[in-house]
Amino acid sequence: MSNHRVAICGVGQTERYKTKLTCSLAGLVREAALNALADAGCEWSDIDALIIGKAPDMFEGVVMPEAYLAEALGGVNKPVIRVHTAGSVGGSTAIVAANHIKSGLFKRVLTVAFEKQSESNAHWALSPSMPFRPHFNSGAGGMFAPVIREYMRRSGAPEDVGCQVAVKDRLHAIKNPHAHLHLPDIDIDTVKNSPMLWEPTRFLESCPSSDGACAMVLAAESHADTSTHKPAWVHAMAMRSEPSFYPWREEVNPEASRACAKDLYAQAGITQPRKQLDMAEVYVPFSWFEPIWLESLGFAESGQGWRLTLEGATSRDQGGDIPWNCSGGVLSSNPIGASGMIRFAEAALQVRGMADQRQVEGAKRALGHAYGGHSQFFAMWIVGATKP
Amino acid sequence: MTVPDNSLLEADFELGFTYTRSPGIIIGKFLAALKQQKIYGIRANDGSVLFPPTEYDPRTAESLDDFVPLSDRGRLLYWTWIDQPRDHHQMSQSFAFAMIQLDGADVPFLHRMLADSPEHLSSGMAVKVQWAEERRGAITDIHGFVSATGG
Repeated sequence: MSNHRVAICGVGQTERYKTKLTCSLAGLVREAALNALADAGCEWSDIDALIIGKAPDMFEGVVMPEAYLAEALGGVNKPVIRVHTAGSVGGSTAIVAANHIKSGLFKRVLTVAFEKQSESNAHWALSPSMPFRPHFNSGAGGMFAPVIREYMRRSGAPEDVGCQVAVKDRLHAIKNPHAHLHLPDIDIDTVKNSPMLWEPTRFLESCPSSDGACAMVLAAESHADTSTHKPAWVHAMAMRSEPSFYPWREEVNPEASRACAKDLYAQAGITQPRKQLDMAEVYVPFSWFEPIWLESLGFAESGQGWRLTLEGATSRDQGGDIPWNCSGGVLSSNPIGASGMIRFAEAALQVRGMADQRQVEGAKRALGHAYGGHSQFFAMWIVGATKP
Repeated sequence: MTVPDNSLLEADFELGFTYTRSPGIIIGKFLAALKQQKIYGIRANDGSVLFPPTEYDPRTAESLDDFVPLSDRGRLLYWTWIDQPRDHHQMSQSFAFAMIQLDGADVPFLHRMLADSPEHLSSGMAVKVQWAEERRGAITDIHGFVSATGG
């Protein structure tokens, strides 16, 4: 396979990731796509292929949405491909799109990921009753809560680390006009006093149900200069998968997560992610996944991730050295299928210097991360301000 | 080994879930008009009239909003006769699945053609809408099409 450089020339997001009752699914994806085209200085006719992604069809009950979205996305008479890897799909969709450019076969690819949670109840759609399988209606929160408990037991982390993450990401979100939740008055007590949903996870330690789409225009080096803004460059990308259950499975720190990060860092020449990266957008749908991923992704030693959170290292507002989720993260907006791509796109905006009020000053290299399923699909990329 | 109980080799199950649909402003207007027995197509960028309306132009991908009132008359293009409808067809009598092009529209669409027998059908014949008795804002507010000349 050829190894052509991949530029991110355009990023587009839904104006705000909140419920949109007057908007069709097609209208939702189109808004993000048009914004990405405008950022990239492109027209529909400049696009060679369309790579779209969303979470499982059960989540909003539109079966094979890719079959009817071509005209809304200028995809008629072009290749249209849908990617499908549960909650990590926004990230893996971006990687599939980037591989189209990397192969040298395509010059400009539009990639869009989306979810319209107002049309469904994705939490319970995760847990349909099936023969020969337990039906606990645990949802994502119930599935991950025991894993969080086990992390707390192993690490000895103080009980309120999750609450700290919940506050930190919501304060970040205030500076992101796209964020679904804007909770300027949130503090530790507000989070602690919110209902306990799946012990130890409280209501305000959980992500919201959001509507939205995120899009990017990716281009070959020869076609990367149409925008008035400078592009971001893909420095590394990796995907890994594993089954939900297998004998030696390590749920708190999944093998696929560690292998994905190792591959990613090797490509980018990174040995000390906390020092060599300027910020990260990491998929944290429940608060405790910040310290869990801090360790799995090598930003902290095993058992020490929670210290970075408590020290403010991951807080942009507190001037932390490795801000995580300056956009407010998944805890502030979760249009599930789009959430991974939002992480990838926000990382790109940061190294382009286009993150406005949420900008990490001078950010040159950033991580975008997504995971999905039962902590079993992982997609990650590192983007930079300069060519790799 | 032997399987102790053959009933454990298969099981039926129903997968059901409740959703909400948001058709959006354009399709929503089209559906609301059907409830009032009014039929609208939409004008594409090249001037052609699409029925049913689409939100975006299939050729240019631009947004469309130029609604064009259409009559309840059209032409039968081609069809397949369903002589013995089954439960899922939701029809108690023989009918045809047919491509019908409304007068003033430039594209045909799939709907039901109602007739006593396939001998009454011919390509190009004039047809007209038969409205459903109860209308709720859906394409099935048009129950089907019948011969416009009573044949």
